[in-house]
Amino acid sequence: MVDAPTAYLAIFLMALVTLGTRVGGAAIMRFVTLSPRVTVFLEAMSASVLAAIVVTFLMNNGTREAAAVGVAILVMLATRSAVWSMVAALLLAAGWTVLIS
Amino acid sequence: MADASVTSTIRPIFTFRGLTRGAQRLLPVSVFVLPFGIAYGAAAIDAGMTIDQAMVASLVMFAGASQFAALDLWQTPLPLLSLMLVVLAVNARHLILGAAISPYVNPLPAHHWLGALMLLSDVNFADSYKAMKDGERDAAHILGGGLMLWCVWAIATAIGVFAGSALGNLERFGVDVVMAAFFGALTLGMVPNLRRAIPVAVACAVAVVTLPILPAGWNIITAALAGGFVGMLDPKAVREAG
Repeated sequence: MVDAPTAYLAIFLMALVTLGTRVGGAAIMRFVTLSPRVTVFLEAMSASVLAAIVVTFLMNNGTREAAAVGVAILVMLATRSAVWSMVAALLLAAGWTVLIS
Repeated sequence: MADASVTSTIRPIFTFRGLTRGAQRLLPVSVFVLPFGIAYGAAAIDAGMTIDQAMVASLVMFAGASQFAALDLWQTPLPLLSLMLVVLAVNARHLILGAAISPYVNPLPAHHWLGALMLLSDVNFADSYKAMKDGERDAAHILGGGLMLWCVWAIATAIGVFAGSALGNLERFGVDVVMAAFFGALTLGMVPNLRRAIPVAVACAVAVVTLPILPAGWNIITAALAGGFVGMLDPKAVREAG
């Protein structure tokens, strides 16, 4: 269990960083123009960080989780809906727990 | 991207009417935030956050993807620096949104400027940016949309945390895979073609290789930076962004 003061310190710091990203883009534009190169860096990083989190999750878990993520990606390709891919993954993981393990 | 030629001609205002307009326009869309918020609330309880902590996180952060990402690192002792850097990397796309909308907010006085940007997210950006291109000049429109999403996000989190604590052991319902599924789907949505998938593939490889050798979360930060740098090497992407 994480102790409460540290937990709230972490939440506060994360909120501060998030606010920084919200105001940072417009603030920077007061002084310089965001170059196309920097824009591409930020775009590529945004997709990369999410993919890296998924891969790390898969490395730390087993077949059930890998199957769920696989189904989510297939459903996303088919429906282009993040909600349906979440639902599909949830159902597969729940079904796996009930039927297999 | 921001068009330098319009900067001098925009005279933005910031009124309560603009705020309600922005809020009303996002009322239907905000329904789609509900499943994510409920999933986050349940996953937060599953990860060991208390009801209060998960609620406070949703209220003060209001950034779903980064809140999910933080759950992955919610362990004892809390890796504060890793948490901050992962949240920074996940929310870095806000910088692009803020830069794009800057001509419509930067002429405002500081308190209105902060108000317009404090709840900036993908959804209200998309709506307000389009409205402003079509002639809307009330920057409170962005805050109004943000407030609508923020309310729904908080309500949904509340439903999720109470359902989570009432039901216990949420893994049997599959809640533990929701984050990875959501991120997998989001990544796919951000990669329009195979060429744009190259930096993402490099990032995945870096994340795998560095996972056993770096402290918690740092493999993700390293991978994100690697993906960003590889992305910059694509001259076509740079041309398209210019």
